[in-house]
Amino acid sequence: MTGTDQQAQVKNTVSLLDVSGVKTGYDDLQILWDLSINVQRGERVIVLGANGAGKTTLLKTLVGLLPVWEGAIHLNGEPVQTLRIDKRISRGISYLSEVGVVAGLTIEENLRIGGYHLASGAARSQMAVMYDSFPDLKVRRRETASSLSGGQRKMLAVAKALMSRPRLVIMDEPSAGLSPLFVTEVISMVNRFHDDGISFLIAEQNVKFLEIADRVYVLDAGRMIFTGTVEELHRNDALERAYFGVYG
Amino acid sequence: MSTFLFAVVSGILFGVFFSLMAIGLNFAFGVMKIVNLAHGDFVMLGAFGAYYALSTFGINPFATMIMEIVVFLVVGVGLYYGIIPRLLRSDDPEMLSLILFFGISQVIEALATLAFGTNPVTLPTNALGQLSFQLFGQAFESSWVISFLVSVVAIGLLYVYLYKTKMGIATRAIMANRDEAAASGIDVNRISAIAFGIALVLAAIAGTLTPFMLGGIYPSVGVNLTITSFSIIVIGSLGNPIGTVVGGLVYGLSLLLMQTYLSSWANMVPYVLLILILLIKPSGLLGKGARNA
Ligand SMILES: Nc1ncnc2c1ncn2[C@@H]1O[C@H](COP(=O)(O)OP(=O)(O)OP(=O)(O)O)[C@@H](O)[C@H]1O
Ligand SMILES: [Mg+2]
Repeated sequence: MTGTDQQAQVKNTVSLLDVSGVKTGYDDLQILWDLSINVQRGERVIVLGANGAGKTTLLKTLVGLLPVWEGAIHLNGEPVQTLRIDKRISRGISYLSEVGVVAGLTIEENLRIGGYHLASGAARSQMAVMYDSFPDLKVRRRETASSLSGGQRKMLAVAKALMSRPRLVIMDEPSAGLSPLFVTEVISMVNRFHDDGISFLIAEQNVKFLEIADRVYVLDAGRMIFTGTVEELHRNDALERAYFGVYG
Repeated sequence: MSTFLFAVVSGILFGVFFSLMAIGLNFAFGVMKIVNLAHGDFVMLGAFGAYYALSTFGINPFATMIMEIVVFLVVGVGLYYGIIPRLLRSDDPEMLSLILFFGISQVIEALATLAFGTNPVTLPTNALGQLSFQLFGQAFESSWVISFLVSVVAIGLLYVYLYKTKMGIATRAIMANRDEAAASGIDVNRISAIAFGIALVLAAIAGTLTPFMLGGIYPSVGVNLTITSFSIIVIGSLGNPIGTVVGGLVYGLSLLLMQTYLSSWANMVPYVLLILILLIKPSGLLGKGARNA
């Protein structure tokens, strides 16, 4: 086996994102307790959790907006837990926050911010890709994001998150406040870019996202209480009742 | 009538110069949500720089301006990294920043007094260059016209930076929503540091023009200039740098009209305008809608 073969081998066995034993919180208040998750290349992983379970806290920690108290975060086998968020983004993570866009900037400016670390040529061509996928945004590119409806704003947020040419997109409740129609649209966009090889880690309360989940984690009071496939989740009576009861 | 027109045109010339003087204060506030109470002292230092360069070494004010741009940019970036991240991590950054920048203001004034004394110094108004400008049959001082032109260019460049460059757009993203800007991967500290540097550069440019516009320069004038700048940005609306141009024009016109018709009351203009605007439209003339744009 040659050296490059071995490297390729290692690359294939290393998770895209590997989080182990992470503890964190705000000031002295611990929120996440010994949390471990991973995302493999090409996976769509959903983190389910009720309000206050710690989803946002987890995602902020992954992208570098909150420091890790203990534990490790590896991206492609490299430790990133001490890197600033901008460094993590240039290594292939991107983050769609609960807000998602800068309301005071125009649509085009939001996309430029999304592709902030790209060279100008790459940013331009990526913006063209986004305008192809989101033609409505192209038409309104000079308008401020605050003029968009909630659903359109979320589509802009998705486009903005994809502007950095990420390998892994981390999304914080993309369905929050959206009508079922827009939820379907967000899901189809995730699938469309998943087909291009992008992996997704999505925190959600909306079980509709389970349709596209390759794997599911359930977060409760800062601890992972379940990990497995959607079928396995359905087989777990307590969780089945907690998350599907109201719908079933 | 001609007195009135003279006052109006002069008011516009001075107004745009005052906009330049205040715009750095507003820009820094927009980015950091911190009022730099030492802003006027940086203007004063810029003015003394122009004075000493010309009177001691015969250096043209424009050459001084270019040197000051470099120096103030470096000082601003250094000052930012030295104090702001620490301030923002404290429990009450607003209050602490007021105290801190008040302290910096006092220190600058004290050091300037040691260095320059308390007597006002002046420069010949023609040192900025000769340029004849006539309007409505009236001739206007060339230093006023040149200062006006320099101010227009400097404000125009700030506009180009904020609206046409990637770093400028990132700066506006920080002004609009610091958390979302950070979540987008913008290095908030680096961009803010550069913004603070630019704010001081704008103060320095206004400073080199100040001896030609406002006459005698002395260390304690810094406080007055801070108050004037603060009134202007509140009139225009806090946090919106472009609104400062409106504030500057309102201030310049009011000042020149007062000086023409009620000269003994002219010094009260900034305070009166400040109180009026706070009573009538506290969000400033350009109100909320334009605040982050
Ligand atoms: N800035 C903060 N300071 C202190 N505690 C916080 C802060 N942000 C969140 N928390 C606490 O951390 C816990 C987890 O919050 P988090 O926002 O991560 O939950 P979530 O799962 O994202 O909820 P939601 O679905 O409502 O967005 C909550 O108990 C919350 O009160
Ligand atoms: Mg949340």
